[in-house]
Amino acid sequence: MQNQKNTLANEQEIERFDVIFRIQHVIMFTTFLLLAFTGWGLKYAEIDVSSWWIRIWGGPKTAGIIHRIAGVTMICDFVFHIVYVGYQLLTGKMKIRKETTILPLPKDVKDVIHNFMYFIGIAKTKPKFGRFSYAQKFDYWAVFWGMFVIGLSGLCLAFPIQASYFIPEWTTGWIWQLLAIMHSDEALLAVVFILFWHFYNEHLKPEVFPMSWVWLTGKISLKELKHKHPLEYELLMKEKGE
Amino acid sequence: MKKLLALTCLLVLLIPIWAEGENKASCIVCHNSMAGTIELNGKVIELNVDAKRYEASVHGAFPCTECHERFSENPHVKPSGEVLEEVKVVSEKVAIKAKADPVAVAACYKCHPQVYDLVLNSVHGKNITEKGSADGALCLDCHGSPHYITTAKDESSPVNQWHVVETCGNCHENKELAKKYGIEAKVMESYRESFHGKKHILGHKRAPTCVSCHGYHAIKSKDDPVSPVFGTNKIKTCGGCHKGANKKFVAAITHQDAGPIPHYAEKGLIILTIFTIAFTVLHVILEAYADIRDTFFRRRKEEEHAESEEYTC
Repeated sequence: MQNQKNTLANEQEIERFDVIFRIQHVIMFTTFLLLAFTGWGLKYAEIDVSSWWIRIWGGPKTAGIIHRIAGVTMICDFVFHIVYVGYQLLTGKMKIRKETTILPLPKDVKDVIHNFMYFIGIAKTKPKFGRFSYAQKFDYWAVFWGMFVIGLSGLCLAFPIQASYFIPEWTTGWIWQLLAIMHSDEALLAVVFILFWHFYNEHLKPEVFPMSWVWLTGKISLKELKHKHPLEYELLMKEKGE
Repeated sequence: MKKLLALTCLLVLLIPIWAEGENKASCIVCHNSMAGTIELNGKVIELNVDAKRYEASVHGAFPCTECHERFSENPHVKPSGEVLEEVKVVSEKVAIKAKADPVAVAACYKCHPQVYDLVLNSVHGKNITEKGSADGALCLDCHGSPHYITTAKDESSPVNQWHVVETCGNCHENKELAKKYGIEAKVMESYRESFHGKKHILGHKRAPTCVSCHGYHAIKSKDDPVSPVFGTNKIKTCGGCHKGANKKFVAAITHQDAGPIPHYAEKGLIILTIFTIAFTVLHVILEAYADIRDTFFRRRKEEEHAESEEYTC
């Protein structure tokens, strides 16, 4: 009896991401893919296959328009996210607690070391994660870095005349070159990072293969929560108990 | 049978006589089937003229002697024909470069005097006429063989939109010439790596090529105040495509090295990329290993037996 009750409780689902966060994520990955696909052809224009690839996207002119629209959409999505999180924090719907925050904490560094020790078999148990593991925090903050480096440089490159009003005169000898390098090199980093990190953690990992459905349903079962985010689970149980 | 063969041979041999009415035929009948090269006044000359390609070219209706003025249709007569005065003047100016037949090289002047004057006054032409060098480009260096010139819109033309960059590169990417004339060492490379160049390579019809900014027949050195890429002239030149171009904007496109800041920024970003990738790849590989290990050897057992859920650390 006790056992059955336990199972029921385990199957119960709680909401991890509300629908607005889910939409933000869908816009983020759609624009990311569009940007990566159209940008790749331009970055490696000298390779023969790029001309063919860009033709699939409607030719260099159309591909450029797709890239700009996707880029501006992504930046809007990002800005909206900041505003939305800010709003939730101000109204008290979201609270910063060490078990649930996405802010990096010293514990995350400890978790990385602990997890590596677990991988190679020195530690017998996995580190206990909160609502966001260090891997997820890394994924999240990578977007901020990307938006700062790629988004900002991309805006300047897409609207160079407008950008030139803000650019100080003494930087003009190198700033344009720098912007192009920032945009292109960081885009490579972003694509490779997503390919390895995000794809392994959210798609290929045996326990989530073919993918974690939380992006679509926004829900996570208590069983999964207990397994993947024990600190958050404990906090939830404690609050329920009170 | 033998008689028929002899008759055919005779008829074939008679073709030049029969065709003499069209005066180019007498030259081309031999040159069409000739092969190889000869050296004349230190210049290597291709003997073959492909009659079909010649006729398809924009000048295909002209007799050979239209340009090869000193020659006559009779191959046994030494080239000594009358030369138009204006062509003679030009031929003397370009003689240092056009060693084999300066008259033929100057003959373009007959129909294209304005364009030819622009070329002679350009940085390319002046190098020949004023500095007495054989290096400057004249008509044929860009438009290709005189016998097969087609319009710039034709895909086969070396000055066609899709070939002109390569044509300029023939000289401007030449290390010896670059050194001799102080040409920007990475001039072609920087174009190909620029957004303009990349779009052009991908087939963007409005992407600029060399001539879009630097001009063509009247082309000037970038240090010449009348060059479209000299100093503030760039604002007008770039403004042709980029409405509202200003001084800070036009600094974006240059063939010069942008200095140490972008260079070291790139190095920094490469190091960051390598470290991030190294970390993620290492993490993913080790985690995959641990996941597989757990799936087969540990996790099952743990989950079956450890009901208490207390994760022990």
